[in-house]
Amino acid sequence: MGYVAIKGGGQAIQGAEEVLEALRTAEGEHGTPLTMQAIENQLRLLTSRIVSEGGLYHPQLAALAIKQSQGDTLEAAFALRAYRSTKPRLLETSAQDTGSMRLIRRISSAFKDIPGGQMLGPTYDYALRLMRLDLANESAETFRAVAREFLAETPEPNLPDTFPKVVEALRAEGLLPPVENHTETPFDITREPLIFPVPRSAALATMARAETGSILALAYSNMRGYGDVHPTVAELRVGYLPVMLPHPITGEPVEVGEVLMTECEVVAMYEDDDSKGAPTFTLGYGACFGHNEVKAIAMAILDRALQKGMRDGPSNPSEDPEFVLLHIDGVDSMGFASHYKMPHYVTFQSDMDRLRTTQKKHESVKQQDVNEGVQ
Amino acid sequence: MNQTLNKTSQRSQWPRQLMAVPAAEVIAAAATLASQHRVEDVTLPQAGLALMQLRDSALNEAYYPGEIPLASARVILTSADGTQHEGAAQVMHDSATFARAVAVIDAALAANLPGSEVVAPLLNRGAALLAQQSVTRKKMLARTRVDFALLGTTDEEDGDE
Repeated sequence: MGYVAIKGGGQAIQGAEEVLEALRTAEGEHGTPLTMQAIENQLRLLTSRIVSEGGLYHPQLAALAIKQSQGDTLEAAFALRAYRSTKPRLLETSAQDTGSMRLIRRISSAFKDIPGGQMLGPTYDYALRLMRLDLANESAETFRAVAREFLAETPEPNLPDTFPKVVEALRAEGLLPPVENHTETPFDITREPLIFPVPRSAALATMARAETGSILALAYSNMRGYGDVHPTVAELRVGYLPVMLPHPITGEPVEVGEVLMTECEVVAMYEDDDSKGAPTFTLGYGACFGHNEVKAIAMAILDRALQKGMRDGPSNPSEDPEFVLLHIDGVDSMGFASHYKMPHYVTFQSDMDRLRTTQKKHESVKQQDVNEGVQ
Repeated sequence: MNQTLNKTSQRSQWPRQLMAVPAAEVIAAAATLASQHRVEDVTLPQAGLALMQLRDSALNEAYYPGEIPLASARVILTSADGTQHEGAAQVMHDSATFARAVAVIDAALAANLPGSEVVAPLLNRGAALLAQQSVTRKKMLARTRVDFALLGTTDEEDGDE
């Protein structure tokens, strides 16, 4: 079935943009425009979500996208992707090592004692999920004092810049398969279409940009029983990854900036080694831009599920690469859902014509049955 | 009084330290250097993106989690005596002008050219801000260090130290 274009409506479309702006500024004389800094810092987890789903680590532009989209995460991620599509790609970095992350949080649900210790960092994990009514009328003075007092009252710690990874300790004990040397060029999902089968690097890249709710839903299906990953979080870490590039003249590694990332390794059911090696645990991996813990965990679970699906064939939806990877992109799925709002007058006219024709046939058959019954 | 460059400041850290201070001040410092030395672009300063590659720590495979902003520049400074000195910069930034300023500073500092002392206060301030940022992050870790006790294995059930 083809589509038929429409024309006209220009004034109304312009008017719709004006109405959106009018609603954004509806506080009127008493209103204060949101600053980029306020969005980036006070709505930092929302900003994190957008840099991750937009596939571009640019917190300032993510904040702007949130502002212009009035908080719609799908629209904001769309805007960030549209921006990135207008910029030239200057280079590709070499593979960055997350072992050099400057952490603000690291936990393990596998071990109580991990090398370097566990630090909860900024988390709601153990907080009461009750409304904080004191924030409703927060004064500027109170607001400004919080960080200042926290910094003043916490003694300067003697901690290293980086911490060892829990999976390395497991590997050293022979509980994980040994590291293999991979030299394949990763799949670039921004330049190549997903034509299945795709390599694992395509799956990881797609999941790293996935819409949080979508990737969580599919991982949740596995957690609830449509799968058998049964994960344990070996380590979840949040921190700033220094991005290193060679100096164009000296070749010496230079830090060109840092990227806030969330990384998660899950340990899953152990498997016998087909090559008669000792059985070891299996691993799933998730890492994305920003502070997005649920997404990183969901990604790690799905990575492990997809590894099984790619190797043995899928036995449930979360192990099916085509099912998972084609249904977790927010911009794709939002675009498809939104397109139903566009005029479909001709196609629907066709549907109505077919229905009326079928109704007439149905009526004539019914009349014929009545006539035959009478006779 | 002129500041001298902190001895711990290394070329590999200059871009990071300069990114920690206001871009306008970096561009102004580079303009001061450019007034004393002739600056030529080896390649046109550019602002765009870099595709970031990451190595997963589970199976040691590389993938692309997304892109980062990147600006780059490469220049040659010619001193009054005719000697030439090359500088370059790649920074996570949107401004090609800023990258060019960092490249000018890179060339001047690497060759210790006259006038480069104008940059020392910026680098020292950038280093101090980064050190403060590092302390703040470590305080977040230290304040939330946790040593969970297994229920029923200790006499002190309500302690968390």
